[in-house]
Amino acid sequence: MRISTKLMLFYVAFLAVFCALGAALVADLRSVSAGYEAVLNSSVRQMDQARIVQVNFKKQVQEWKDTLLRGHNADDLATYTKQFHERERDVLQGAEALSSQLQDPQAKQLVQQFLAARLILSQKYQQAYRVYVEGHADFVAADKIVRGQDRAPTDLFDQVVERLGVVSKQSVETQNKAASTAQNLALGLAGGLVGLLGIVGFLLVRDIVQRLAWLKSVSDRLARADLSGLAIEVSGHDEIAAFGKSMRGVRAAMEELLLLSMEETSAKS
Amino acid sequence: MGAKLAGYFEQINKELGPIGRMNLALLTSISSTRALMEVDSPANIQVFEKAMVELRKTAKK
Repeated sequence: MRISTKLMLFYVAFLAVFCALGAALVADLRSVSAGYEAVLNSSVRQMDQARIVQVNFKKQVQEWKDTLLRGHNADDLATYTKQFHERERDVLQGAEALSSQLQDPQAKQLVQQFLAARLILSQKYQQAYRVYVEGHADFVAADKIVRGQDRAPTDLFDQVVERLGVVSKQSVETQNKAASTAQNLALGLAGGLVGLLGIVGFLLVRDIVQRLAWLKSVSDRLARADLSGLAIEVSGHDEIAAFGKSMRGVRAAMEELLLLSMEETSAKS
Repeated sequence: MGAKLAGYFEQINKELGPIGRMNLALLTSISSTRALMEVDSPANIQVFEKAMVELRKTAKK
């Protein structure tokens, strides 16, 4: 193979390796990005949803307290009752939506427990409301029925958020491990390929330099007309081999010249 | 051995002189001394024939 072809192939191989490494890096970045996006879209988003449900539940409790506190006024009673039911609906819808999205069985079970507890509490609120209205704003009697009963559902949602936090952390750790593995693989592959190209390049250059040194020694001997035992062995089909063949011709021409010179000398004598 | 190849040197010497001999050795990579030791193989003969044609062509120019 010609030296120019070898060098061109080496250059193309180098370019191909770097292009492949670039493409692998882009693919790796995309994969890592997609992985983190999946984490954000699942457990992290679900944590936000859970907090929203919890806040709505606390708002619902607050509306109940406002009802008890200001319900003696008919307008306020209507307003706070309406707001209480709106928050109640938000809590129910939010919790059901979250439950349908959750994949973690433990978190799903906690939300189901919350929904069951919320249903019982809702019935108690209705009962307390009736006592309140029938007792002409008797907030003491009404409060007795539901007092402290919102804590357990709130705590359940704390557990949901905590559980989702654990799931999210596990997902991030898994993703970090995958990213680290991919990074190590890319580094190993890049190092290996660059090392391989380095070895090939070194061998190529060493071969060229050694053969050029041999040609120089042949050329030096021809310059001194030192032809005795001068063998010009040519191997390969590259530019250096062609130059070696040309040197053979020069050696033969010099031999012929020396012969002519000897013939001329003997003719004169 | 190599009589035919050596004959090419004699022929070119007659036609073009010592310069022709040198150029024949240059083109074939075989001097007249070595030609005597070489085998008159078809491949060698072909190389010499080709060189003779080229030398004659060059001489005409």
